[in-house]
Amino acid sequence: MACLPLANIFARKTRTTISVLAVGVGVALFLVLIGLTSMLREIANRTTNVSAHLMVWPASDQVVLSGGLPADKVQGDLKAIPGVARAVAVLRWPLKMAGRVQNVYGIRPQDWDLFAGPDRMVEGRALESGDEMVIDTRLARAGPYRLGQTVQRWGRSYTIVGIAREGVAGRVFMPIRTVSQAMSQDVLRASFFYVRLARPEDVRPVREAIEARGLRVITFDEYYDVLASSFVDMDLVIAAVVFVAGFVCFLVILLTVYTMVVERTREIGVLKAMGASRAQVFSLVMAEAGLICAAGIVAGFLLTWASRALILDLQPLWTVDIPAVRFAYAAALAAGGTALGALHPARRAARQDPVESLRYE
Amino acid sequence: MADMETILEARGLTKVYRTDAAPTAALRGVDLAVRRGEFVSVMGPSGCGKSTLLYLLGLLATPTEGTVVLDGTDTGAISDGRRTRLRRRHIGFVFQRFNLLAALSAEDNVALALRLRHEAVQTRACEMLAAVGLDDKRRRRPGELSVGEQQRVAIARALVTRPDVLLADEPTGNLDSEASERVLDLIGRFHRDAGQTIVLITHNEKVAERAERLVRMRDGRIAGN
Repeated sequence: MACLPLANIFARKTRTTISVLAVGVGVALFLVLIGLTSMLREIANRTTNVSAHLMVWPASDQVVLSGGLPADKVQGDLKAIPGVARAVAVLRWPLKMAGRVQNVYGIRPQDWDLFAGPDRMVEGRALESGDEMVIDTRLARAGPYRLGQTVQRWGRSYTIVGIAREGVAGRVFMPIRTVSQAMSQDVLRASFFYVRLARPEDVRPVREAIEARGLRVITFDEYYDVLASSFVDMDLVIAAVVFVAGFVCFLVILLTVYTMVVERTREIGVLKAMGASRAQVFSLVMAEAGLICAAGIVAGFLLTWASRALILDLQPLWTVDIPAVRFAYAAALAAGGTALGALHPARRAARQDPVESLRYE
Repeated sequence: MADMETILEARGLTKVYRTDAAPTAALRGVDLAVRRGEFVSVMGPSGCGKSTLLYLLGLLATPTEGTVVLDGTDTGAISDGRRTRLRRRHIGFVFQRFNLLAALSAEDNVALALRLRHEAVQTRACEMLAAVGLDDKRRRRPGELSVGEQQRVAIARALVTRPDVLLADEPTGNLDSEASERVLDLIGRFHRDAGQTIVLITHNEKVAERAERLVRMRDGRIAGN
């Protein structure tokens, strides 16, 4: 019996190919979107992948608009809080490189160790002072940029003195005073502070003490949610795409299998005349739909791989990470859509009157 | 009428089709007994109820009144599932339009009948194709066979499961005279050599004369037996 669904599929190559592709597109759509949403996770992971425990931000938007918190004063206040081992000022400012806006991390050169392990520098050296920058390996590849190259921005030339391994905080580091000068600040300011605790378990009392000073504290665990909350429609978009992907599979399979059942009305009558039970006819139709689905899932995985490669080729700074479990979800989505789409035509075929089927023209 | 040798029997079979226009009685109280090993032809003009009788005898349809007794089993009140099992076990069909599955080869068409019974015996399918003289064409699809060859494959498919009764609905209706003769010779050979019970319906007198017994029908009734 296994040969019949397979034979039927190969007997209608064009229709089968279209159906397989439609299922594949649905699968790929789901997976690529999931992969693109990983960019947010990548940013959050990078931002919190430093040797600290908390981020301290201005509580008021007015402070943000004025350029940030007074770096020296606030840093001193934070270091004075019991339990705080270290407070590092970061001045963030947008800079366009490799076709995309990057957040430059303006830091004190002596604070570089917070962002770097012993083997983080791949080429060159860490920051010292002046018009220089350190970029990460991913930005270097995307540019492409090389060690010693100068970058013209903000009316000045900045030399790339180091290339660091990617994955920690920003992709571009510059001395905080260099960034402050470019922003024409009167006083050295900071967008936020990284705070390292003497004991990680002291988060709560330190947080309370910082908040009592009118500042906002975000733990590293909370950072992703804070970031995601600024993209409030993302869940809605994901849900919409999941629905569309599943609906595409359902609709294509419904139309394909329904057409197949109508086209093979007489054939179904013959099968019944030969003694095929309702269950056997039902199984044959579902099996054919299942084969199309299986092929569609494979096509979807291949389309996903190709799409990912194309996206990363065109936008090397984007992140398209797709956890293996998502492939299982995608397969389940396609299988569910297929089963629902094939159910009605399969039941119709099983219930067909054999005499009417044999007389069907 | 019924005795121990009767394999298939129609008792007071009536079939009324209810349409939007008016009810149409295709069969009116037909009684017919077929003994094991007998070759019976049912002849009559178009619309006399031959095909309806065949479908009822083959348990493909249910009568409005009366019953069909198959191998001692009264099928009047049985479930659709049991009817299907009886058909699969006891009945083989040959149709006027062959009704082979276009996507399968000749061999797979014949083997399909076995697979429906969960019998995966490919050799038997090959043997049956050889018996109908098509062993060398078993890999060909129906579209690659002549009409006569297709009907011979259909006969092989109908008989590969060794049914108790072969029901043939105008098996030569779509064939030329030469192919018709060949098919009728084949059917006759299975009857003679293997004792196959056959009920063949036709409107053609010459075809009907090939059988041992001729049953004439007119207007849904037996007009001569």
